[in-house]
Amino acid sequence: MPGAIETYFDKLERTRVWRSIFRSGKGTSTLHNALAIQQNVFLHLFPTKVRKRMLGLGATWYLGTLTLGTFIVLVVTGILLMLYYHPSVPRAYSDVKDLQFVVSSGLFLRNLHRWSAHAMVFLAFAHMFRVFYRGAYRTPREFNWVIGVVLLLVTLLLSYTGYLLPWDQLAFWAITVGTNISSAVPLIGDKIRFMLLGGHLVNANALLRFYVLHCVILPLTAVLFLAVHFWRIRKDGGLYVRETEPGVTSAEKQLSNQEQGSR
Amino acid sequence: MQTNNKGSFSSIRAFLCDPFRMFGVVSVILLLLLTVAPAKDYFSQWRSYQRQYLNLIRNRGDAVTLLRHFQGGIQQIWIPQLGVIDRCQTCHVGVAEASLADVKEQPFRAHPPIPHKLTEFGCVICHRGQGAATTVSEAHHSKMAGEEPILPMRYIEASCGQCHHEPLEGTPKLNQGRLMLARYGCVNCHAVTLPDGSTMQGTDNPPPLTHIADKTTREWIYAWLKDPTSYSASSTMPNFLFSDADASDISAFLIANSTPQPGDSMAYSATSSGSASDSSAGAVLYGESFCASCHATQNEAGNLVGGDLGPELTNVGTKVKPGWLMAWLKDPHTYDPTTKMPQYRWTDQQLQTLTAYVAGKTDPDFVANVHLQPATQAQIAHGKKLVIEYGCASCHEITGIPKPDNFAPDLSRIGSKPLVQLIFLPGMEQSLPAYLAEKIRQPRAFGPSLHMPKYSFSTSQIEDLTTALLSFTNRSFTLPPNLQIPAVQDTNYRPAGQAGQLMANINCLSCHRINGNGGTMAPDLSWEGSSVQQPWLDTFLKNPNTLRPTLIRRMPKFNLTDSERTVLTNYMMTVYQTPAFERDEMPLSGYSPDLVEKGRQLFYSKYACQSCHIVNPNQDKGYIGPTLTTVGARLNAAWIFHYLKDPQAIRPETIEPNQHISDDDAQALTAFLMTQKTIAGQGAK
Repeated sequence: MPGAIETYFDKLERTRVWRSIFRSGKGTSTLHNALAIQQNVFLHLFPTKVRKRMLGLGATWYLGTLTLGTFIVLVVTGILLMLYYHPSVPRAYSDVKDLQFVVSSGLFLRNLHRWSAHAMVFLAFAHMFRVFYRGAYRTPREFNWVIGVVLLLVTLLLSYTGYLLPWDQLAFWAITVGTNISSAVPLIGDKIRFMLLGGHLVNANALLRFYVLHCVILPLTAVLFLAVHFWRIRKDGGLYVRETEPGVTSAEKQLSNQEQGSR
Repeated sequence: MQTNNKGSFSSIRAFLCDPFRMFGVVSVILLLLLTVAPAKDYFSQWRSYQRQYLNLIRNRGDAVTLLRHFQGGIQQIWIPQLGVIDRCQTCHVGVAEASLADVKEQPFRAHPPIPHKLTEFGCVICHRGQGAATTVSEAHHSKMAGEEPILPMRYIEASCGQCHHEPLEGTPKLNQGRLMLARYGCVNCHAVTLPDGSTMQGTDNPPPLTHIADKTTREWIYAWLKDPTSYSASSTMPNFLFSDADASDISAFLIANSTPQPGDSMAYSATSSGSASDSSAGAVLYGESFCASCHATQNEAGNLVGGDLGPELTNVGTKVKPGWLMAWLKDPHTYDPTTKMPQYRWTDQQLQTLTAYVAGKTDPDFVANVHLQPATQAQIAHGKKLVIEYGCASCHEITGIPKPDNFAPDLSRIGSKPLVQLIFLPGMEQSLPAYLAEKIRQPRAFGPSLHMPKYSFSTSQIEDLTTALLSFTNRSFTLPPNLQIPAVQDTNYRPAGQAGQLMANINCLSCHRINGNGGTMAPDLSWEGSSVQQPWLDTFLKNPNTLRPTLIRRMPKFNLTDSERTVLTNYMMTVYQTPAFERDEMPLSGYSPDLVEKGRQLFYSKYACQSCHIVNPNQDKGYIGPTLTTVGARLNAAWIFHYLKDPQAIRPETIEPNQHISDDDAQALTAFLMTQKTIAGQGAK
């Protein structure tokens, strides 16, 4: 029986469709494995080679991956929520109520979105603390650190713009206060506020702007910077390993020194 | 043992640290968690109620009908133009099933019969709560911003008042509460704007204090300020809970601020009219003048007897100076041009007698213990400050102090005030009705700096007021205009000319309504000229007798001169005519005996008018309508004819039934009634 399955997979892997998708071909050599990563649109951002030790919990606590995980959950639940939500003053609040009371598992969907959003902010911070205290932000990874800071800002903005969408009192006043803070910027403060709200008051225009920011502009920005973020991990020599840590080979130390020297 | 433990720990560690296994475990946990979502949906509260409902109706005789009406799933009433999305019927499944009236257990009870269809307005407009919700706690008790909990049933009449601004038969509490808002002067300080843009006006008629020193003493003002109800139980003046010093200062200011008014005091000598015979003559005059139609007094049993249009007179002798009282009785307009009190044309002797009688109604204890030191300038200044601070001028006219605008919070939308904006007393129920009731009951408990006075209302009166206040909702302003039923507003009609002056003088409009303006105590006189015959009107004004023997409140005698009566009756006969018919189109007499006899038969048999009216006092027993013994000398034939044809077309509020009488029958009845010129059995005089 196992033989039959193997034969079946063998046949499958020889089909044209399979070979067109997984172009690295069959084989377990280092080259094959490297090609499998490199030639896949989703995986090519990642290093072709990872130290096995870095996949353990202790190395990163998976904080970055978990942040990405919450982001994916947010995208999926967010798209589902968009099916029920109208960004208009008369409908917004009652749509949220409908989600809560009549949409099947609507409350679950909404709560999942909300709690994932909280978790994402928390995890992004935790990720950054971890990176900071391990010193992983240092050369040659300082550029990726900056991208990380941008991603944190995007995360916070996503959280903030999503806050207005239920259109309840909490949302209204939070956005009123928040945009008033932005008007404290010297000289152009009032212009910034006007631009954010699309007017002078938190009203229909503000709701629409925050909706577009929350559902289109900010997620696209996040995806863009995420891609750069992951790609930079590969370009900066994979996940950070401390030289004093056991298991670091002399060749790796040399590589690390070279990199530092070259910058 | 230890090694074993260590071994198992390390194996768990090894297991968890293997990323692939970790991924698998986490995935399984996630999947299990995800199954919770549809399970929660399936075991929801409303599904359970619908199952219970099906169990309930299964064994009933009308199960087939009920089952046919039953639709599973979420039910809602959606009325976009009213903003109604009510899903109450999801759990209250049988609310529209009249046959479930016997079911006592909620949520399956049928709705009691109401004048509206359930689908016409939904549930939340009347009952409040959160209509969109499908769980009990969210639907009934949610207090989040913008959401209201269910309105307790004892205040439910407030919901009718959102559309119906006129009094309704089925809403006694609401009607009473609205009357009280005006009667106790609440609306003098608190502005109440109604959805039609009009503002509520007080009916408490607070007296001006510009010449108060002519009328009463500082001691009385002091005692009155300290506790108005100890002077008169029916006082509409509330207790401001002043300290002794503050009451003393305010009384000092009011006396010092008062200016004398020429003619509002007369020489009154107690000696010339203090005897017992005068006292009984005074009581007779008081009774003959029907003072009690407007003024109440307390009898020995402590009950108030009399009308409430004027102030209670039980202890009035303690309050007013006799000289002022006599001048007031002679012509009340001198002291207060806007008073509702008519000017009686009493002789000087009658004035002496009546003054002695009225001034004799005293309560010596009321001011017995008030001993005030002469006021200093500082006290007077402080009194003025207090008068401004407590907004006395909101109700009373006080020289030098303008009526404050927006003195107290606007109550136009108080019934929708969000709970988050209320500050509750410790331990009290956290709801808007409870807050309003408590605020009326003990206003000063809510903060030491508040100025709202304390009324001595009963619990049911507070409930009435709370009901009226709860009807002032945001929704009443956003309803479509075609749903708004405004209250009838008084016009600013005033009769013109010499007759108009006379009518203002005897204040006809205090009791009678003419062309949409005036009181409601006495009949509407708008079409009196079409209704009655001039000789009768003249006689009536000369010596009013009552048409309705069961009434206590009667038309007083104003002692008009012959020429005054002629002016008045001429004006009324000419001006107050209905456009509906020509007054003189039917003769006052000369009907054929056959027709009269036919009318008599119709009166007693076909239409059984004697059930309510009396034509022959010896045999008829009807006391509901006015007596018709002399109707032929009182009313015009055309009026009777058209009134019989359609009573409500002439007087919309009359209880006379519209019997759709044919022209022939109406003519016969008119002929019969027109022969009733003198009281039957007494013969012509």
